[in-house]
Amino acid sequence: MQVHKTNYQVNETPAFQVLTENQIEAIYYAALRVLYETGVRVYDKQGVEVAHSAGAIIEETNEDSSLIKIPHWAVEKALVTVPSKVAFAGFDRKHRMELYKNQIYFGGGSDTPFTLDPSTGKRRRTTYQDVKNIARLAQALPNLDFHMSLGITQDTAVSTYDRWQYLAMVEGTSKPINVTAVDAEGLGDILEMAHILVGGKEEWIKGPCFSIYIEPVSPLSHTREVVQKLLFAADNDIPCVYTPCPLAGATAPCTLAGLLVQALAESLFGIVVSQTRKPGAQIIIGGLMSNMDMKTANYTYGSPEMALMSAGYTDITKWLRVPMYETAGCSDSKIFDEQSVMEATINISTAALIGGNLIHDVGYLDSGLTSSMEQMVAADEIIDMVKRILRGIPVNDDTMALGVLESVGPGGHFLEHEHTFNRFKSEIWQPKLIDRHDWEGWTSAGSKRYGERVKERVQEILATETEPLFDEATHKELRRVCELADERHRGEELDIKMFG
Amino acid sequence: MSEIYQQLSTIIIAGEDEKAPGLVQKALDQGLAPLEILDNGLLVGMNEVSARFAQEEMFVPEVLLAAKAMHDGLEVLRPHLVAAGAKPIGKIVLGTVKGDIHDIGKNLVGMMCEGAGFEVINLGFDVDPEKFVEAVKKNRPDIVGMSAMLTTTMIAMGYTIKALQEAGLRDTVKVMIGGSPVDAEIAERIGADGYAYNSPTAVELAKRLVGAA
Repeated sequence: MQVHKTNYQVNETPAFQVLTENQIEAIYYAALRVLYETGVRVYDKQGVEVAHSAGAIIEETNEDSSLIKIPHWAVEKALVTVPSKVAFAGFDRKHRMELYKNQIYFGGGSDTPFTLDPSTGKRRRTTYQDVKNIARLAQALPNLDFHMSLGITQDTAVSTYDRWQYLAMVEGTSKPINVTAVDAEGLGDILEMAHILVGGKEEWIKGPCFSIYIEPVSPLSHTREVVQKLLFAADNDIPCVYTPCPLAGATAPCTLAGLLVQALAESLFGIVVSQTRKPGAQIIIGGLMSNMDMKTANYTYGSPEMALMSAGYTDITKWLRVPMYETAGCSDSKIFDEQSVMEATINISTAALIGGNLIHDVGYLDSGLTSSMEQMVAADEIIDMVKRILRGIPVNDDTMALGVLESVGPGGHFLEHEHTFNRFKSEIWQPKLIDRHDWEGWTSAGSKRYGERVKERVQEILATETEPLFDEATHKELRRVCELADERHRGEELDIKMFG
Repeated sequence: MSEIYQQLSTIIIAGEDEKAPGLVQKALDQGLAPLEILDNGLLVGMNEVSARFAQEEMFVPEVLLAAKAMHDGLEVLRPHLVAAGAKPIGKIVLGTVKGDIHDIGKNLVGMMCEGAGFEVINLGFDVDPEKFVEAVKKNRPDIVGMSAMLTTTMIAMGYTIKALQEAGLRDTVKVMIGGSPVDAEIAERIGADGYAYNSPTAVELAKRLVGAA
């Protein structure tokens, strides 16, 4: 073969970058200084011991916590063993995720107290049935790769809600799940349920079917439950998401770079503890990085700074070679509306382009307090659209189509050309709910707004009968774990009924 | 004389905390009555701040600096107010409940209530029910304010109310609650007297609870 070309570079996907390597290094070394000079406060004795064995200095110990200062070499030692890839699969073993640099997967957000009722549109506290329905919806939406509850089961006991919530989710979806847990004991029960689903511990180690969401408290504080869950996850081969939620101007510096420094210091503590406890323990860092709205003191989920900081942090995690927990598909709007779709479009595009790995919070509204099935369906289509952009523009002899241009020539058309017939489905994206009719076509279909079509799609999915994802005997076994937990915690419930 | 009242309210609105103690001292040196310095100077400024914040004309950091100026001015004024027999409009014991260390929202409420003329005893975070009971016994507040950020710790607000009941103190205080997962329905269910969704409404609620609104 004759070669006449050299120095020819290709963009297989569009390329997007927020921070240069020099900027990333500046932030990383600043975070190392924070860890050593300012330190982090740890409210767990075992966590303090683990950090100490890694080389940390313990100061200002009081009855419930210590100030931990971690030298740079202890961090860098931990970074040697932290895996650059986290892999897990749904319990059906069909939905797999390989999280590493530039791989993207989308999914829901964690426990909102409220949801918008899909029939009435009213905001109300989420129930077991809601969590199950939301999971069924996630199962049906092709661009959602993993799932998070998008609602707390609040018609179950408060101190054991996590087990019931997991059961509600796996009744609806066999995709990988990022769970929340009350504490290490709750996490243990969920792990037991997952072992039942995948067929035992060995099967679990081959491919975990959930990860655990763990949220340290900004600025620079790591509570007892947080550290206990981190240690339990390391001990039991559970991938963990160590995700602070710093708020620029409130729980973190107002400047975006300052927030990134703090967030990185918070996550690096998680890496040091997990890798000291068990070298190679699977950990994902990142989190929800945003700003406080200075008029209302609310957390913003739809701000441009949220999208920008998450993207900047993704650049940092790519450089560190640690999988990233990105944020997108979310909004501050109270309902599913023009604002919610506008904000989601911006943050989904940004997260997809930068290549954050586990991209969560699809379906989140109301500063993270309310979930919306309609937002999920609309986001599914936005993701689909953005993924078309990610496929880029392949440039080669076939796509440049010189022969086709030659055969059609000036004044002809391409509609009946074989080149068009063979390629239009892969080259040109097809919308599902987005409307491209002419005026008459649109009016004869009922003159529906986009939101109405989305609502109908939600109803349609919910009304579709689906096969149970596991048999009755398995269901009984899973229920048993939940009921035993309820038994153990019975005394702790208030005689006041909190909900419903 | 009215000029210094004007100056006091202006520095509160502008959040010039470093100027507040000196200016209050200057007013005292001029022989002005402590209660009038409060009512005609500091509180005029703080009320204006509250009004502007409610109308979204002022931002949270500006309000906090105003509250800081108010606080620093009051430090100088308080001994004179006490000597003159003036009392705060109410006393609030405030804390984030057991198991929860999220306290920025609660601190915001504390500063704004102080700015509105309350005496605030801030117990910090991860405050267990017994600590609330002790603080009520010790300080005899008008209001107990509780905050929770997590649905799992929200229940601790219920435990605390129960502990106040068991200690025979429930009827001596009003209980107000707040925090992300909380709403008016929860307040009713756990037997609180009120719920506020943000710091300005918390101040209004506190005033209503002590009959000052």
